[in-house]
Amino acid sequence: MIEVKNLVRTFKSGDRTIKPVNDVSFELERGTLASIVGKSGSGKSTLLSLLGALDKPTSGDVVVNGVSLAGMPDGKLTNYRRRDIGFVFQQFNLIPNLSALDNVMLPMEFAGVRKAARAERARQLLAQVQLDPDKHVRRINRLSGGEQQRVAIARALANEPKLILADEPTGNLDEQTGEHIIDLLSTLSRDHNTTILVVTHDRALANKTDRRFRLQQGRLTEETVRPGATAAVTGSAPASPDGSGLTGPDLSGPDLTSPAVRTA
Amino acid sequence: MSVLARSVGNAFRNKVRTAAVVAVLAVAIGLALAMLVANQAVTGKVAELNASVGTVLTVNPAGGQGFEGGGEPLTSAQAVTAAAVPNVSSVVGTKALRLRNAAEIAAQAASGRTGQGGPGGQSATSVTTSLRAAIDAGTLGNRNQGTTGTSGSTAQAAPAFSLPVTATGIGAEIDADGKALQLTKGTGLGNYTGASTGALLGTTLAEKNGLSVGSTFTIQDKTFTVKGLFDAGTAFGNNALYVTLPTAQTLAALPGELSTMIVTVNSMENVDAAKTALQAALGSSKADVTQGQRNLQTAVSSLDSVKNISFIAFVAALGTAGLIILLIMVMLVRERRREIGVLKAIGAPNRTIGLQFVLEALVLVALGSVVGAAVASLASGSIASALISSSGSTGAATGRRGFPGGPGGAFGGASQLLTSVTASASPGVIATGIAAVFGVAIIGALVPALLTARIRPIEVLRGE
Repeated sequence: MIEVKNLVRTFKSGDRTIKPVNDVSFELERGTLASIVGKSGSGKSTLLSLLGALDKPTSGDVVVNGVSLAGMPDGKLTNYRRRDIGFVFQQFNLIPNLSALDNVMLPMEFAGVRKAARAERARQLLAQVQLDPDKHVRRINRLSGGEQQRVAIARALANEPKLILADEPTGNLDEQTGEHIIDLLSTLSRDHNTTILVVTHDRALANKTDRRFRLQQGRLTEETVRPGATAAVTGSAPASPDGSGLTGPDLSGPDLTSPAVRTA
Repeated sequence: MSVLARSVGNAFRNKVRTAAVVAVLAVAIGLALAMLVANQAVTGKVAELNASVGTVLTVNPAGGQGFEGGGEPLTSAQAVTAAAVPNVSSVVGTKALRLRNAAEIAAQAASGRTGQGGPGGQSATSVTTSLRAAIDAGTLGNRNQGTTGTSGSTAQAAPAFSLPVTATGIGAEIDADGKALQLTKGTGLGNYTGASTGALLGTTLAEKNGLSVGSTFTIQDKTFTVKGLFDAGTAFGNNALYVTLPTAQTLAALPGELSTMIVTVNSMENVDAAKTALQAALGSSKADVTQGQRNLQTAVSSLDSVKNISFIAFVAALGTAGLIILLIMVMLVRERRREIGVLKAIGAPNRTIGLQFVLEALVLVALGSVVGAAVASLASGSIASALISSSGSTGAATGRRGFPGGPGGAFGGASQLLTSVTASASPGVIATGIAAVFGVAIIGALVPALLTARIRPIEVLRGE
C-alpha cells in the first residue's frame, strides 16, 4: 500500500515560491489502477517524481508498504527505484545507442538478473507490448515514437515492480496500440497486483482506471468514475473544453466529482 | 549487455570524436613511452658503467703499459696483495701476448723486415700462431712496426707487415677492460685459473680464419679449440682472442707474471679510497693504479642528464595523457547528464555508472596505447639519439685506442659510450609504460566518474 502524507514540493523562481504539489495526501491499495489528470504545469509530473523517489519533498512523506521514504539515504532510494518502481517517462528516456532489447534488459542488469534470463524476459515483454520481433535488436533511435513508447513501457515492467508510474503512457500510440497498452496495464494491476498510477490527458485511459485524481494548482481531488463507463476507449479528440486537461469524448457522464477524498 | 560491453559501445558512439581522441592520446602516450624507453636505455647504460668500469681500477707495471714502456712486470704475489686491500671485491690478472702468423714471419724475415714485440711485450721473441690478423696493417700498422723505427714512410717492394693478433690470458670471464665478455656463440672457458686448450675468439678474427665453435688452430704449435666467439664491439677488440691466464703465462714462458690486474671495488663510493690504498700496498715504484671512472665521468654525467630529461618528459607526457582523459570524460559526463539521470532513475547504482565511464576511458586509452606503442617503437630510437647527441655534444670526452691496459682502450672512449646507448622499445618497457598510462588514466577517469554520483535524476529529467 502507498500512503502519501501531506506532501509539499516548492520551488523558488526568483522572488516567487511555486508549489506544484501542495499538501497532497492519498492512499492507494495494491493492485489499484489510478490516474491523475490536470492541465499542463499543474504538478502531475512533479508528484510522480516524488512518488518515484526521483525527487525529495519539501515536506510530507511517502510511505510504501510501511516504509517511509523521507530521510532515506540515496543508496536505499536507488534500491527502492530499482526494486519497486517502474517508470514510463513522457519523453521515453531510452538509451539511444542501445537496442530495444538492451534497453529493456538494463533494469534487470542493475537488479543482478543473469544475462540469459533477462534476455528471455525482455523478449517476452517486448512481445507483450507488441513490438515487432525484427525490431528487438534495432537501435532506439531507429524506432518510431510509438515503438519507443512501447519499449519504455516494457522497460518499466522489467523488474516486476510493485508500483508503475507512467507519464502519458499512451500519448504517442495509435488508437489500437493505446487500447492494448491500457488493457496490459489493467491486466497487470488486476492479475499481478501491481499498483499503477498514470498521468494522462487521455480521457479514455482516465475513464478506465479504478480511481481518478485531478491535480489543480498543486491540490489533489479525487473523481469517481461512473460504473460502466470503462467500456469504450476512443482516440484523440480536441482539447478539453472544460478545463480538466482531458481530451476525447467525456465518457464519465455527469461530473460526479466529489470533494477530495484526501485533500487539504 | 554488460557494463563493459556498454562502455565499449559508448566509446565508439561518435566515431569521428573517438578517432580524434585516440589520435591525441596516441601522441601523448607515444611520447611517454618513447621517453620511458630512452630513460630505461640510459639508466641501463649508466648502471652498466657504474657496475663495471666505474668501480674498476687498472693496475699496470710502474713505467709500463701494455706492450709499451719499461719497469718490472706485475706478479701473482702482487695480485694476492691487491686482493687484501679493503673494499676490493675481486682481482683478475691478465697476461697479454702478441701472436704473429708463422708464415708471415717467415716471409717478412726473408725480406729483411721483422716485427716487434713478444710474449711479454718486452721480448723480441714472437709467439707464432696459425691465425691471421683480421685487420690489415695499413698505413698505421706499417708505420708503427717498420724495422727502421722511423716514420715508416720508406717505400719498399717488400711485403707489407701483418698486424699481430692480441691474445690475453684472463683469470675470469672479462675482457682486458674488466667488462663481461659478450659471447655471441659457444660457451666460456669454464675454469679460468687452470691451464686449458680452449680459446675465445673475436668474431672478425674467427671469420677471417674461417673458424667457428669447435674449430682448432695453433699457438706455438700447440692446438687450441675454439670454445666461443665474442663481440667486443670494435674492429680492434674483435682481432683478439682470450685464453686462460695460466695458459697465457705458459705460452709466454713467464709463469706468475701479469701484464695488468683488473681490480674491482665494491662500490662507487669506495673507489677513491681503494685506489689510494692499493697504490700504497703495491708501492708507487712497482705499480701504476689508474681509475677508468675519471675518464668516464663526463660521459656518465651527460647520460645522467639525458636520464633526468627523459624521465621528466615521461612524467609530463603521462600527466598530459591523464589530463586529456580527465577533460574528455568530464565533457562526456556533461553531455550525457540526462542519460545518467535516466540510468539512476531506473535503479543504476552510482558505482555501476562510475565504472561504466572509467571503462569507457580505458577503452579509449587502450586504443591510444596501441597506436602510441607503435609510434614509440618507431620513434624511440631516434628520439633517444636526439636527446643523447644534444646532451653529449657538450660533454663527451675524446679518447684514443691503445693496447690492452693502455691509456686509451675503453676508458678513453667516452664519446663512444654515448653513441653506444641503444634505445629499443622492449616489450617489458612498453608494458611498464602502458601500465603507468592506465594507472594515470584510471585516476583521470575517476574524477568525472565521481561527478556522476552527484547528478540527481530529477535535475536532468525535470526538463520534460
